[in-house]
Amino acid sequence: MEGRQLRPIYDALELPDTKYAEEECEKLLRKHPNHYGAQSIKAFILARSGRPNEALLLGQSVLNTPSAMASAHVQQGLSLAFRALGRPREEIMVYTAALSFSPNDESLHTKVFKTAARNSMFKEQHHAAIQLSKLSKQQKYVWWLVVSLFLQAKHSKDDVSAPVQLKLAERLVEKAVTDGQLTSTEELRVYLDVLDIQDKHEQMAEVMADNGQLAAMISNDPDLVTQRINLFIKIGAYDKAIMAAIAALESRDNWADYKLYIEAVVTLVGQAADAEAKHSLVAGISSNFEKWAGVRGKARGAKLAQVALATRMHEAGHGDIVGSPEALIWDYLTEFQQKAICYSDIMQFIVARREPSVLEYHQAQLEQRLPAARDSATNSDDAAQAWVNLEKIRYLLQALMGETDPKAWMAGIEPLLKFGLGSSQARKKQPSCSDMAFIASQRIIQAAFLAYSAADQREQLHSALFKALCVLESGIQLNDNSFLLKLYAIRLYLYLSCYERAQTIYDTLRIKHVQLDTLGHLIIGHGMALGCFALDMELCYNGVTFYDRFQSKMPRDIEAVYQQGTYSNVQDFLEFQSNIVHSVQRECTHRYALRGEGYEYGNAKETLARWEEADVSSIEHSEQTLSALHDNRDVSVMGLLTPKDMAQWDLELLTQSTPIPGHDFIRAFSLVPQVMHYLVCADIESLQEKLSELTLVVDNTNDTLSRQDVLFVRGIIDVGSLYIQASDPQNEIDDQLSRLLSVIRTNLPSNELDPSLFSLSSDGIRNLSAAAELFTYMLALKHALSAQRLPAANAVGLALSQLRKEALKSVNTLRGWVDKNTRALVEEQWLAENDDDIFADVKRFVVGSQKQTTSMVTKACTTSWLRSVKNLLSQWEKCSS
Amino acid sequence: MSTIRRFRAMDLLHFNNVNLDRYTETYDSQFYLSYMSNWPDLFTVAESPAQKLMGYSMGKVEGTGELWHGHVTALTVAPECRRLGLARGLMRGLEDASEKIHDCYFVDLFVRPSNTVAIQMYEHLGYILYRRVIDYYQGDGVMPTEYAHDMRKALPRDKHKKSIVPVKHAVNVEDTFF
Repeated sequence: MEGRQLRPIYDALELPDTKYAEEECEKLLRKHPNHYGAQSIKAFILARSGRPNEALLLGQSVLNTPSAMASAHVQQGLSLAFRALGRPREEIMVYTAALSFSPNDESLHTKVFKTAARNSMFKEQHHAAIQLSKLSKQQKYVWWLVVSLFLQAKHSKDDVSAPVQLKLAERLVEKAVTDGQLTSTEELRVYLDVLDIQDKHEQMAEVMADNGQLAAMISNDPDLVTQRINLFIKIGAYDKAIMAAIAALESRDNWADYKLYIEAVVTLVGQAADAEAKHSLVAGISSNFEKWAGVRGKARGAKLAQVALATRMHEAGHGDIVGSPEALIWDYLTEFQQKAICYSDIMQFIVARREPSVLEYHQAQLEQRLPAARDSATNSDDAAQAWVNLEKIRYLLQALMGETDPKAWMAGIEPLLKFGLGSSQARKKQPSCSDMAFIASQRIIQAAFLAYSAADQREQLHSALFKALCVLESGIQLNDNSFLLKLYAIRLYLYLSCYERAQTIYDTLRIKHVQLDTLGHLIIGHGMALGCFALDMELCYNGVTFYDRFQSKMPRDIEAVYQQGTYSNVQDFLEFQSNIVHSVQRECTHRYALRGEGYEYGNAKETLARWEEADVSSIEHSEQTLSALHDNRDVSVMGLLTPKDMAQWDLELLTQSTPIPGHDFIRAFSLVPQVMHYLVCADIESLQEKLSELTLVVDNTNDTLSRQDVLFVRGIIDVGSLYIQASDPQNEIDDQLSRLLSVIRTNLPSNELDPSLFSLSSDGIRNLSAAAELFTYMLALKHALSAQRLPAANAVGLALSQLRKEALKSVNTLRGWVDKNTRALVEEQWLAENDDDIFADVKRFVVGSQKQTTSMVTKACTTSWLRSVKNLLSQWEKCSS
Repeated sequence: MSTIRRFRAMDLLHFNNVNLDRYTETYDSQFYLSYMSNWPDLFTVAESPAQKLMGYSMGKVEGTGELWHGHVTALTVAPECRRLGLARGLMRGLEDASEKIHDCYFVDLFVRPSNTVAIQMYEHLGYILYRRVIDYYQGDGVMPTEYAHDMRKALPRDKHKKSIVPVKHAVNVEDTFF
C-alpha cells in the first residue's frame, strides 16, 4: 500500500524531475498528513533542491517519531535526506532506530558500518563491526573489526583505551593466522599496521620472516619487500637489513632498497669500533654497487647509489672513507648525460653540498665539457640531450653561486635559441630541442627579473618578458606537446594582462577532474581580474561540479574498499577525501564562482533576491577551518631548474602576475557576500560585525591579495559603511559617496592622456575590471537603499548614472586606442632596436628567424587586450541603474 | 632505476608531470579509485630518486573462461623519463601479476594508431594487432577521433595461443566488452 502510494514520487525522482516529485509528495501529504514515507522523501527532495534548513527540520521531526522507523520507505528516504545534508550522525540514528524493530538485520548493521566508515566516525564503525561479527561468521567482518579498532586507536586521544583496542585487534589477527584465515597481502598489511602502531617491530620482523604462506605473499609484493628491509633498520638489525637489501637488489633495481641499504651501512660505519671495520663495510657495499653497475638495466641505479653513498657518508662525517661525491657525480653525468632524466637524478646531490670550493669544482668540470657538448649536439639525439643536461647544470650552478648579473644569465643564449628553435632537429620535434627552448626562456625570464626588479623598471621588464614569450610560443609552434613551455606561456600572458591567449593555451592542456584542484589555479580567477568573467565563470563551474561530484561519490569508494577487502587503501582514501574536500583551491573556486555571480548584472529585483537568498552561513571561516585546509596546488610541475629554497631564482614565484590566493583571499571573499547579504537584509548589527572583520583582513594582508583585490575589498567596506550611514535619515552620505566614486573614477582610463602600452599590460585592465566590479556592487547598494531610504537611493543612483556615462566614454576611447595603436606600439617599444639592451640577441632572434611567431604573439596580445576591454565596455553598458 | 610501488590515491595530486602529456588521458578520480579498490596489485607507479612520479600502469582482470585476461587500461611515462625502459618494466610487472596472481590467458590493450612509438614498444614486448576497433577514441578538440588497435599477448596458460588469432575485420566498441 505504502509503496503504491509512493510510486509516482519515486518515478519522478528517477526521471529526474524533482519539481514534479515534490508536487506528488505534497499531493500525498494533503490526503495523508502523517504519511511518514512521503515526509521522508520530501525531506530528501528539499535537501537536494538547496533548502537544507527545511529538509533538516522535516527529517528530524520524522526521526523523532520512533514508530515511523519501521517502514523501509522511511528508512530509505530519511537516510538519503541526511546523507544529502551531510549529517552522518542523523543517518546512523535512522538505522539505529530501524534496528530496534529488527535487531538482527545484517544489512542495517552494514549500513551503520559504512556510514561511519565513510565519515571517519571510527567509534561507531567499531561498534557496528562488533555487531556484524557477532551476527555472522563471515571472516570479512573480523577484518572490518580489526581495521575499525586500528583506525579508532590511531585517531583516538585516549591513552587508556587505544592500547586495549590495538591489543584486541592484534589478538583477532593472530587467531585469523592460526585458523589459516589470513589469505591476502591486504590482510597482511593490516596485521603489520596493527603491530607497527604499537612499535612491535620485533614481532613484525618475525611475521615477515615466516617461511610459509606469508613469505610467498611478501615476495610477490614489492612494497612489502622494501618494508621488510626498513623494519630491520627500525629494530637495529642492520646486518639483516643489509642482507635483505642485497637479496632484493639482486633481483630488482629499486631505488628505495638502495637508500635503505646505504642507511644501514652508514649507521654501522658510525658504530664500528675501528677504521678497518669501517673500511670493510664500505668496501662491501661499494663492491656490490660496482657489480650491479655492470648488470644490464641496473647500471643507472647502482651508479647513482654510489653518489648517494658518498654524499651520505660525507653528511655523517665519514667522508674520509669514501671518495669525493663530486667526482662520482661527474662520472655519473659522463655515463648518463644522454638521458633526459639525468639532471633530475643528479640535481639533489649537487644541491646537497653548496660550499664554494665544491661549486668551483663543479664549475671547472662543466667548463671542460660544455664546449665539446655544444659542438657535437647536432650529431645525434643523445649528444643533444647531453648538452641539454650540461646547460641545466650551468643554470643551477649560477643560481647556487648567487649570480645576480643579468648579463651573466644571458651569456651564451644565442646557441641555445638556435638549437632549440632554429635547427633541423627542432623542426623534427626532437624533445631535447624543446628542453633547450625551455632553458633559453628560463634564462631570459631570470635575467629580466634581475635586470628590472625596481618598480620604475617594470616597463622594461614587460618588454623582456614579451621576448621570452616569443621564445616560448616558438617552442610551442614546433612541439605542441611540450607542456612546460605552455605553462610558462600562460604565466607570461597573464603577467602581460593577456587573458584570452592564456586561456586558449590552458585549454590545450586538457586539464580536468582532479587536475582542476591541482592546476586550476593557473587560470581560474584571472579572467575576472582581466574583464573576462564569463569565460572564468565557466571554468569555475567546471571546478564546482568536480568538487560536488567528488563529495557525493567518494564515500562509495571508501565503502568499496571494505567490500573488496583492499584494506590498505582505507587510510589513503580517507586522507585523499579530506585533502580534496578541505582544499584551498576548492574554497577559492567557490569564492570566485560566487564573486562572478555578484559581478553578473541583474535588475533590481534579481540583484536583491540573489543577495538575500545567498547561503552565507556555509561560507563562514574561522582560524580553525582555515588551518584545516590543504594546499594541493601543484607547483612542482613548473619544472624548476633551481631548488625551492632560492626565492630570487624561483621562476614559479617570480612569474605569478598576482599572489596565488590563500587564506586572506578566502577570508575576504567569504566576507564580501556576507556583507552584501546583511546589507540587503538591512541587518545593521551583523553588517557592522562583518565590515569590522573585513577591515581586519584587508589591513593585515601583507601582500597576499592583489592590489586590485585590496582596492575592491576596501570599496566594499565603503559600500557597507555608506549603507549604515544612509540608514539614519539624519546622516549625510555625500562624503562617503564621493570617496567611493573617486575610487572608481581613479581606476577608469584617463580621457585626457593617451594610455601607454605599459599601463595597459600592467594595471590598466585590472584596475578597470576592479572598478567595474565595484560599480556593480554599488548598484546593489542603490537597489537596497531604494526599498529603505529613497532620498539616499536617488542620490546614489544619480551619481552612478553620471559615473556610468563617464566610464562608457573613457572605456570606449580605450577600446578604440587598443584597436588602433597597440600592435604598432608592441613593435616599436617591445621589439625596438637598442644595442645596449642585454636582450638584444633575443630580440634579433625573435624578429629575425621567428618573425612569424613573433607576429602571432603580438597579435595574440593585442586581441587579448581588445577582448578584455570590449568585455568591460559591454559590462558598463549593461550596468544601468 | 626508480622505486616501483603501488599507486596511492594521494598520488593523484602529484601526477601532472605525467598526465599533461597529450597522449595521456586524465579520468574522473573515481575511475582511478575503483582500480585501487578492485585490482591494487595491477596499479603500479614508478617514483624517481627525486621523488617525482615517473610513470604508472593501471590494469584490471576480466572475462570468463578462456577470455579471462589482464587488460592494460593505462600505461604512461613522463616525457623526461622516456628511453629508460620504464614502460617495459611496468608492462612486465602487469603481465607478471596477470599470469602469477590472476592466472590469465592473455593480456590486451588499446592504443591509438597515431601513437607509433607505443605501438613499436608493444610489438617488441610480443603484442600483436588482434583487431581494430572503430572510433574507439572520441575527439576532444585537441586529440582527434581515431579507431583503436586492440593488441594482445598470450600468456603461458593459453597453450595453443588461441587468444591471439587476429580478427580480420574491424569491430565496433560494443564488441569489445567482456
